[in-house]
Amino acid sequence: MTTRPRTGRAFAERRLPPVLLMAPAGLVLAAVTFVPLVVMVFMAFTDYDQRSLFTGEFSFVGVQQFADILTDGDFWAAFFRTIWFTAALVIGSIVIGVAISHLMTKLGGGMRTVVTVVLVFAWAMPNVAASLVWNWMFQPGYGVVNWLLTQLRVFGDMTATDWGANTGLAFTSIWLLVVWQAVPFIALTTYAAETQVGPEYIEAARLDGASEPRIYRTVTLPFLKPTILLVTILSVIWDFNVFNQIWLVSKGGPDGSTSTLGVFTYITAFVGLDLGTGAALALITALLLAAITSVYIRHLIRSGEDDL
Amino acid sequence: MSVVRRRRLGRPSSVATVIAIVFCAVWAFPTYWMVKTAFTPRPDALSSTPTFLPLNPTLENFETAIFQAGFFDNLRSSLIVTVGAVVFAVLLGLFAAAALSRFRFGGRRTILVIVLLIQMIPGAATLIPQYLVFNEAGLLGTYAGLILAYVSMTLPFSIWMMRSFFLALPAELEEAAQLDGASTWQVLTRILFPLVLPGVIATSVFTFINAWNDYLIAYTFMKDQSMYTLPVWLASFTSPLTGTDVSGQMAASVLFSLPVVVFFVLLQRKLVTGMSAGAVKG
Amino acid sequence: MRKNARAAAIATAGVAALLLAGCSTGTGTGTTAALPDGIPDTVEADGDTLTVWVMQDDYNDETLAAINERFTERTGAEVDVQIQQWDGITTKLSTALATTTPPDVVDIGNTQVAGYAANGALLDITDYRDDLAQDQTWLSGLEEPATVDGTLYGIPGFAGNRAVIYNKTLWADAGITEVPITWEELTADLDALAAANPAPDFSPLYLPGQHWYVGLQFMWDHGGEIAALEDGEWSSTAGSDASLEGIEAWKEFQNAYSAESSRTVSADKPEQEQIFADGKAGAIIATNGAINAILNANPELTEADLGTFALPGQIDDTQPVMLGGSVWGIAAKSAHPDLALIWTQIAVSSDIQVDFVFGGQGLMPNSEENIAAVAGDLGETKIGFFDAALNSRATPASPGWTEVEGANLLQDLFSTVASGAATPEEAAATYDSKADEALN
Repeated sequence: MTTRPRTGRAFAERRLPPVLLMAPAGLVLAAVTFVPLVVMVFMAFTDYDQRSLFTGEFSFVGVQQFADILTDGDFWAAFFRTIWFTAALVIGSIVIGVAISHLMTKLGGGMRTVVTVVLVFAWAMPNVAASLVWNWMFQPGYGVVNWLLTQLRVFGDMTATDWGANTGLAFTSIWLLVVWQAVPFIALTTYAAETQVGPEYIEAARLDGASEPRIYRTVTLPFLKPTILLVTILSVIWDFNVFNQIWLVSKGGPDGSTSTLGVFTYITAFVGLDLGTGAALALITALLLAAITSVYIRHLIRSGEDDL
Repeated sequence: MSVVRRRRLGRPSSVATVIAIVFCAVWAFPTYWMVKTAFTPRPDALSSTPTFLPLNPTLENFETAIFQAGFFDNLRSSLIVTVGAVVFAVLLGLFAAAALSRFRFGGRRTILVIVLLIQMIPGAATLIPQYLVFNEAGLLGTYAGLILAYVSMTLPFSIWMMRSFFLALPAELEEAAQLDGASTWQVLTRILFPLVLPGVIATSVFTFINAWNDYLIAYTFMKDQSMYTLPVWLASFTSPLTGTDVSGQMAASVLFSLPVVVFFVLLQRKLVTGMSAGAVKG
Repeated sequence: MRKNARAAAIATAGVAALLLAGCSTGTGTGTTAALPDGIPDTVEADGDTLTVWVMQDDYNDETLAAINERFTERTGAEVDVQIQQWDGITTKLSTALATTTPPDVVDIGNTQVAGYAANGALLDITDYRDDLAQDQTWLSGLEEPATVDGTLYGIPGFAGNRAVIYNKTLWADAGITEVPITWEELTADLDALAAANPAPDFSPLYLPGQHWYVGLQFMWDHGGEIAALEDGEWSSTAGSDASLEGIEAWKEFQNAYSAESSRTVSADKPEQEQIFADGKAGAIIATNGAINAILNANPELTEADLGTFALPGQIDDTQPVMLGGSVWGIAAKSAHPDLALIWTQIAVSSDIQVDFVFGGQGLMPNSEENIAAVAGDLGETKIGFFDAALNSRATPASPGWTEVEGANLLQDLFSTVASGAATPEEAAATYDSKADEALN
């Protein structure tokens, strides 16, 4: 390697600066994330459990652990449940979020501020608090949602309906909770991107006589694509592993019918304290998730790097 | 003429306004209901026919909540840990994202993929391995340990998020600055970093929420109850033995959410102005 | 390059293995500190601090202060009491007890203690049993779950069980003058209550479908068992003939006397105390903590409006109740086992039990003698609990029981039967297959 004078080499070609810039994050990730991960991967091949914690005794079970999980009907049931529930959550929050973002561009300043404030309030509510509020709103007998639905006189008397005790209702209330909290991030991020669409492009399309929906489809959406792609992939990752909300609303019940992979892993690792199996489950989950998202990840990494 | 002008200025449409009002009513309701319950005396809160306005507003529930053991201690812990996590995750993420987006070097895509893969592993499975490592390192029961745990939880996202902001900046920026004789460090600190301020803010918001929200790590890693964070204090309102005081719980939830709301409202304006400023300069 | 990678992989695996094994410092289940031959009356431990973890709402400040004061007199050491939340406690305790600096004394629910005991987290205190018991006969429902293979790991702290709490006004309005003693009297009274309160959402006795503690009572009353131990293997027995009979009786009773809306719900969503306080139920089955919850929920009610009695059995005189409660465990890795023994000895002494645990907090003391000692002081809101405790049972002393409870298996069993979503046979078969896995 030849040493060229600094000014002679393109900024992006510098060797030392990126290393120095990466070093702090790299060290921290290595120490506090990577080492525990290695321990977890190691654990996945053992029968490490509560007893091992106290005595340090455990033995290798090797790939048998993975074979057991992959032949367990409950695991696959949880897996497919997770897939469709993730899809429902992601589609719901992206569609509403992007729609709200577009809606905001059509509003006057005052109303737009109101929408922003409402979004920020929903976004800012910590999910521990949000789950408590949900349980309270959906509480059988005293919950305001049951009362409102009963007043509608469409569904009959729903006063005493227990949302956690029916698979469909449990999923509905969890869906509402997750989407309620996810939409603000998506709407505000997309809106920030949408404000940067050059007005001249829209104006040009308008002069060509294009209709509003057509302008949105041909001008705005392509511009928003990278942003939407990023928030979609983040939503997939977050929603796939959503746990707190399900646990607080239904605990995976009734009869395990709302138990997603996140709940399944939690019960294995923290209720049964079967840490080896929990670790193996987590690895499998991560690999499945990576496989599902691999196409988009490639896309995401490539996009925006063309200038380099 | 007037039609064209209206369109060009993007005047508000009344249909949009109506939709927005409906949306706001739905989206604001849970927040409203939390606040309303917090101001309702406990015996009135649980009624089978709800009242939609706090008819006998009271501060009693807030009093109960604040004097619930540990509020001030745990608030202090939450602030220390959250601010610490935000500062570290954002700074480290900013540097790493700059390296991964403005420089070309072998293995950078591999690094990005690894960072994203880390995000995909369910937190439930890494908690105990991390506990064991932290135990060996003597980090348990310390604020530094908890901060590190939160940094490790949020740094991968932080890197990805800020990378997307760096990528939006044209490559000519650096070259132009270098021609003016600026050093690499100067290019970074004077030109690039200020331009990704919106990214910095968005990332801080994300880190803040995650650190502020966490219950299980704080509860497991900390030893002294005065060093617990607010979610642990909040959990003390749910007792399997003596019943849950809904009004007190909602008042506590309001108190717990308040700092996040304040943080958001302060940054939200900056986030939007930062973005439009970025657009103008870019 | 490839060789290096393999070497690195082996090295990291080695480090991981060391780390996982290292937690125990290589001494197995034993403690590193020397154990005394018996519990000494006094020790010189000025400057030492004993860490005690107490669960939220188990013991109040006065009780703890009284124990600590006596402890400091005997040892000169200080006590650091830490109050712990319920949510996530299994993770918190399991990890903390695994370190070399665990809390010295921990307060554990009696249904959870078996797991920690069987896995080596707690100190074997069999040799100190007499010193700790101080001539008391501990309630078997507390001692049994803390005993694994004949070895004692926990010291009974207090007991708690369920009884019927009833609204005196409603019962009097329905023309009932005496507390029911037999099953026939009970059903006659509940029928009278139903006749006097025709509202569709009124329950003569509100019984949420997920209230498995009561479901178990019916099972036990009919001679059934939830699990059986044979040759060291646990098997779940909800599907046995006697158990099924009990489950069938549970369904019949629940459907007859509790509003339809209660069939699938749990006892805390909505809180049954709230329903009771609102006058929508003539009675509920709950622990004595419910008395305060009811009074808080409706300030117009006073203790004089409430009465308690033991639920009569269809077979037994009173239905066997699940004895809940709390035991003290000492960490196997405690650095101060001698101090921990002294502290616990004080906490379970008659003096503390009678004056503070019962006197101050109204909880049921840990031994037959202590219960007899306070029997004269029982008001109407306490007597039912004490009567019911005379016929009490414990949950299986299997380490896997925690998982059965944690995974909500029993809630599903009893609520699917109550709602008619499954027949007792179907629900029991589903339950047994899952519980068998968890128990072993």
